[in-house]
Amino acid sequence: MTLLAQYALTGVVTGCFLILATIGFSLTRQVEGFLNIAHAEMLGVSAFITWGLNAVAGWPFLPSAAVAVVATAFLGLAIGRVVYDPMRRLGPAVLLITSVGVAYVMAGVMHAIIGTGIRSLDMPLATSYKAFGLRITDYQMVVVALAAATGISLALFLNRTKTGLAIRAMSSNPELAASRGIDVRQTSRATWLIASGLAGLAGVMLALIATLSTDIAFNQILQILAVAILAGLGSLYSVIAAGLIVGIAMDMSVYWIPAGYRPLIAFLVVILALLVRPQGLSGKARS
Amino acid sequence: MNLVQLFLAVVMFGSLFSVLTLSLNLQYARGGMINFGTVAYFAAGAYAYAIVTQEPPSGLDQYLVGLHGPWWAGFLAAGVASMAFAVLTGWPTLRLRGEYLALTTFAFAEMLHSLLVNERRIGNGTVGLANVERPDPGSLGLPDAWAYAGAAFLLMLATALVFRRLLASPYGRAIDAVRDDETAAEAIGKDIARLRFEVFVISAVPIGFAGALYAMITTLVSPDLFTAEVTFFVWIALVLGGERTILGAVLGTMALVGFQELVRAFPFESVRAAEIAAAGEDIVTGILFILILRWQPFEAMVKRRAAA
Repeated sequence: MTLLAQYALTGVVTGCFLILATIGFSLTRQVEGFLNIAHAEMLGVSAFITWGLNAVAGWPFLPSAAVAVVATAFLGLAIGRVVYDPMRRLGPAVLLITSVGVAYVMAGVMHAIIGTGIRSLDMPLATSYKAFGLRITDYQMVVVALAAATGISLALFLNRTKTGLAIRAMSSNPELAASRGIDVRQTSRATWLIASGLAGLAGVMLALIATLSTDIAFNQILQILAVAILAGLGSLYSVIAAGLIVGIAMDMSVYWIPAGYRPLIAFLVVILALLVRPQGLSGKARS
Repeated sequence: MNLVQLFLAVVMFGSLFSVLTLSLNLQYARGGMINFGTVAYFAAGAYAYAIVTQEPPSGLDQYLVGLHGPWWAGFLAAGVASMAFAVLTGWPTLRLRGEYLALTTFAFAEMLHSLLVNERRIGNGTVGLANVERPDPGSLGLPDAWAYAGAAFLLMLATALVFRRLLASPYGRAIDAVRDDETAAEAIGKDIARLRFEVFVISAVPIGFAGALYAMITTLVSPDLFTAEVTFFVWIALVLGGERTILGAVLGTMALVGFQELVRAFPFESVRAAEIAAAGEDIVTGILFILILRWQPFEAMVKRRAAA
């Protein structure tokens, strides 16, 4: 029973990471209107910038992480402006396929610069804490805390600030938002910055809790997609629930079946959910 | 690698993947369905062929079934397996539209992949099935490479002809109608759900055959050969060739395969150099892909020709 509880706890940590990784993806989907497959590559970029500054250049962790997040945010903005903006009129399906091309380019560049092999950050080993027979490491706690902080600050941002409200307006009805005087281009730029910055943050977390290799990003996109579909492509708050459900389901399944099936469980949950509720957890009608 | 080998490789793999591109063309450009799990049907075909023709397990083998059947039985089984998988995945997902469909088909492909990796009783897990049996074309007096390049080319030709015939028929026009305007198509009495399902299943069959041929050519099936990269590769080829034409789909695939084989034909001094070349291949492919989608030169060409 303790073992099962332990898996559930690990699942919560996985879920928190997935929330961080998926929120930016969902935000892009809502405001820009397409599924950005290259989002996962942004996680990889950020993770490897952190690694490069920390393990190769010898910087301390926090400044490396900060630089990585900011750099990723601006890289995302640049890609959005150069690649996706001129193509928006071609519709979401073409943009979705285009983002596969972007993912190819980014993966290729990372591969050329970094090469294959496994890396890890220059950090002290995680310290394990024990309570009620359950173990959790300090890095895992950082992930949970950061996911919570991000969720709260994003909710505050979207509900209280002018840019946040503009983003919400754009996501629910772009034409109406534009006709009511919202600066569509500026809002779109803000969205790219935030979504990519969040990907950057998730990438740093990835560097912290996992060993890094250049194909890591691709493994993440599968889980990000799973969480995003389960949440329904229409809501941010349901991402939190969906992330936790997928995370806990994946990690608890290890109790009964081999660990190799974890990704399969993620998609099994999604397919079951889609069969019952084709619009995802949020249950909002698709426009 | 000399020019003849290069040519043979391009014809062989180009034709083989053209079958996939053609099927995708039918599903996407004509049926309006985004299938992001193409590789799953390909893998289903290849594994079905291998299992039917493989000898019963011995020694360290972990797979359960090896029927040791003749190659044509395996080939037919590949088509059936791919079709069965299409029925299985199409039934629940085809009521979903657009990107939801793309994501669910992608999910199904990943599930199949994960199943092949983890369930050793199907095909030895990650090790895969090696030494897949294949007919010996020596009896026809042909070298292996020529015979299989020819077989791939024939399969492509057959697929193209059948699809062309199908699409030129009233049935094809009904498919177009469903894609262009579902409400209108339904109003004149077309069963939309059924048409979509049929197109999905029909187009999966040649993919299964291609899978069987692929298993014969490589004489190996393992999960590593059937990753999402195959799906993306076919999508890139489809976009490269311009949508909606059979010739475009074939030419796009040939061009992409030719490009890849050229890069691979280069001798590399070190592992690192080869690694950079592989990365460069990805980068160039990706950039080409974006540029073509951005400016759509083929669409423009078709329009210009239509206007003239």
